[in-house]
Amino acid sequence: MKFRKKREKTEEKNNVFSIFLQGDIFTKLSFFIWGISNIVRGQVAKGFLFLVLEVSYIYYMVTSGGAYLAKMLTLGTQQQGMTFNEAIGIYEMSQGDNSMLILLYGVVTIVLTGVYIAIWACSIYSGEQARLRKIQNKNVPGIIEDIRKLFDANIHRLFLFIPLLGILVFTIMPLIYMILMAFTNYDAEHQPPGNLFTWVGLDNFGALISSTDSLSATFWPVLGWTLVWGFVATFSCYFFGIFLAMLINAEGIKGKKVWRTVFVMTMAIPSFISLLVVATMLGKNGIFNVLLQQWGFTTEALPFLTNGAWAKGTVIVVNMWIGIPSTMLMVSGILMNIPKELYESAQIDGAGPIVTFIKITFPYMLFVTTPYLITNLIGNFNNFGVIYFLTGGAPSSLNYYKGAGKTDLLVTWLYKLTKDSKDYNLAATIGIVIFLISAAFSLITYTRSKALKDEEGFQ
Amino acid sequence: MKKTVLGLRYKNLRIALIAALIALVSLFLPYAKAGESLSGMKLAVELAGQHAGGKNIFVLLLVAAVVLSLLLGLFCNMRPGKVQARVWVAVSAIQAACYSILLFASKSILDTSGLLEEKFLVKDFSAGYWIGLIAAFVVLYSAMRAVKIHPGYIVLTIMSVVWLFPILWIVLTAFRAEGGYYVGYFMPKGFTLDNFKKLFAENSVIPFARWWTNTFIVAVCTCVLSTLIILMTSFVLSRTRFVGRKGLMKVMLIIGMFPGFMSMVAVYNILKGIGLAQTLAALVVVSAAGAAMGYYICKGFFDTIPKSLDEAAIIDGATKWQIFTKITIPLSKPIIIYTILTSFLGPWTDYIFPSMVLGDKQNSYTVALGLKWLTDFQRIDTYYTQFAAGALLVSLPIVILFIWLQKYYVEGLSGAVKG
Repeated sequence: MKFRKKREKTEEKNNVFSIFLQGDIFTKLSFFIWGISNIVRGQVAKGFLFLVLEVSYIYYMVTSGGAYLAKMLTLGTQQQGMTFNEAIGIYEMSQGDNSMLILLYGVVTIVLTGVYIAIWACSIYSGEQARLRKIQNKNVPGIIEDIRKLFDANIHRLFLFIPLLGILVFTIMPLIYMILMAFTNYDAEHQPPGNLFTWVGLDNFGALISSTDSLSATFWPVLGWTLVWGFVATFSCYFFGIFLAMLINAEGIKGKKVWRTVFVMTMAIPSFISLLVVATMLGKNGIFNVLLQQWGFTTEALPFLTNGAWAKGTVIVVNMWIGIPSTMLMVSGILMNIPKELYESAQIDGAGPIVTFIKITFPYMLFVTTPYLITNLIGNFNNFGVIYFLTGGAPSSLNYYKGAGKTDLLVTWLYKLTKDSKDYNLAATIGIVIFLISAAFSLITYTRSKALKDEEGFQ
Repeated sequence: MKKTVLGLRYKNLRIALIAALIALVSLFLPYAKAGESLSGMKLAVELAGQHAGGKNIFVLLLVAAVVLSLLLGLFCNMRPGKVQARVWVAVSAIQAACYSILLFASKSILDTSGLLEEKFLVKDFSAGYWIGLIAAFVVLYSAMRAVKIHPGYIVLTIMSVVWLFPILWIVLTAFRAEGGYYVGYFMPKGFTLDNFKKLFAENSVIPFARWWTNTFIVAVCTCVLSTLIILMTSFVLSRTRFVGRKGLMKVMLIIGMFPGFMSMVAVYNILKGIGLAQTLAALVVVSAAGAAMGYYICKGFFDTIPKSLDEAAIIDGATKWQIFTKITIPLSKPIIIYTILTSFLGPWTDYIFPSMVLGDKQNSYTVALGLKWLTDFQRIDTYYTQFAAGALLVSLPIVILFIWLQKYYVEGLSGAVKG
């Protein structure tokens, strides 16, 4: 009895090494010729499938994959240009290496290799399963039964296949490509196919942080403004949203749905439209300035979008115009859920409205909406739309690098670097910086929310 | 002994009366001082002499309201009653409204009347105006509190005006007959439907109909694909357990922290490789491919469906597929509608990705790209009214959809937050 239990325990440790050790000759063979283990145990179709996959991978690596991987180290050595053709005796245009394509195909090859390693592991596991079932004299499932299992026990394989494929091709692969690009010098002056670019290691990061030219003079202010903007935008919308929600939710107000709809309209209109409209209204000859002069508030146009400090204020105010309704909606639902007994008992104890707010409403609200707040904060750090459509990052400053402006966030600067000045390596570097910031804040949320989940102290 | 009326707060009635008195006094104080000073009463008398039309009526209405308010206040305090108190609230509302409107209209009134030596600016308002303004609002507030109407309505009204102002502007501009961007006034001089017609004209510079149909097709396709993918992914992550489930969720969380357009260039090159560059199909494919990353809210909702339902079904011999189709989906109406709505609205408002993929191929633009193109400074003066018309055409269906399905939207969101 004890003996068998010990055997079972080692069998549970199920990784490729243990399978190799405990399997028979066919199992060990299947490490190199995929699918042998399956075929021998009776799963002919499945094993054959694995074999075909293996052949396809070897074929790919031999014909193109291997070459790309080799070139990845240097990202191309031969520049496009004129080379002397000895045989004919003239200079002719030679293609040269295309660094970008090399990087791209290299990444594709690496990802494909990863996928094939996963398939290989899959084949090992399924072969081992077949072997175990054969030993225990259970029936070994054929291909048809495997397909049927896809709808039941293995439904996760069926459902996740296409989504994961999509994510792999269009999210993970480009991401790896761009991360690698942050370590090259693929910028405006190194555009293939005319020029080559190559690895420069951490130079880009260094240049961003401390260099003598405009790059670092841009990076730190933009980073600072991104952080300031994130906090101010999030908390201004949050507090005013709570205020508005409480106002509409108050006992004496009738027509709550109507009031809510009025404010929700700004939320329902696609943001880029409302932003474009407001941007046109705030121009030098826009309606705001016209009206202000007509009403006698000012004698000349106010530089809403053209002066650095004004622009920052304007952006925050407009963001409140758009953001307060959504906070209000979300908070309304929560407000209605606060048990009324808490309020009643507070009233009996003689607490005024302000004390009730500080001691009951606000702590409850904060507890429930902390994850929302942090998500909103990170979202505002990356709030491309409000800044880009309202100011376009303007006003630009000569001190800043190539067209970055005083209201630019890291994301809008990234966009400009990609679309306008084609400094892809810098864009990638900034992308990584954004990721680090988001990750830092997310980590803080994660640890804090775990601590909060144990805490019931607010009630 | 006075009969006390239930439901009326006497303290507030008295405060309101004092404020109404102060308001009347303020009419005799200097209203504006630019060169020479002018009292409110004097202004009203002069304007009554000139012509009591147009904006001048506000001043006259103001004086009338102040006087009436004081009289009503005296009456309410001597003979308290709900009816007269409510009338007083109405009159004081008009009084406060007049003072507020005069904040904006005084410049044009005073400049045309010629009663001041210099041009008027808001900073030239004197004590008379400001005291009157504050007193008016105190009257309104106290009167409302006296009748136990929640004074929050004041704040709500003001905020609503502020919120709806740009929307009003864009609606007016869309119907404005005279074109151009640099106009110096608010109300259009003529109304027309031409702007809308120009958008759909045959050989128009702005192929708006094309843009609209492009966006519509992309939205529908994306909506269908994305909803299916999100539902499948959320179901699997919520209801099944398999090796690597937690790891997968962590990986997706981390990937989600990278800004989406960082990989723009790479995606564009991949699309070029597949042969989909500058096509609308690319938009659908990429949106659908990335859709699975947005599983959080849906999964949160699925998590709230009791597991006992699944277990009962398994005992009855159902496969997971049957659980999905026969139990989970029918129970998830709010979240399905939420998902359909958000994935349908996505392509209408997405600018960055289409701008990257479609470049300058105007015929394939979505409305977002097209409208932004119209606001380019070269074109904005010619096409501003059409831009407004286009903006309206795009916003209206979305607003209607949104309000109609607001119930599901809030349910979906709060479900995730609570969970």
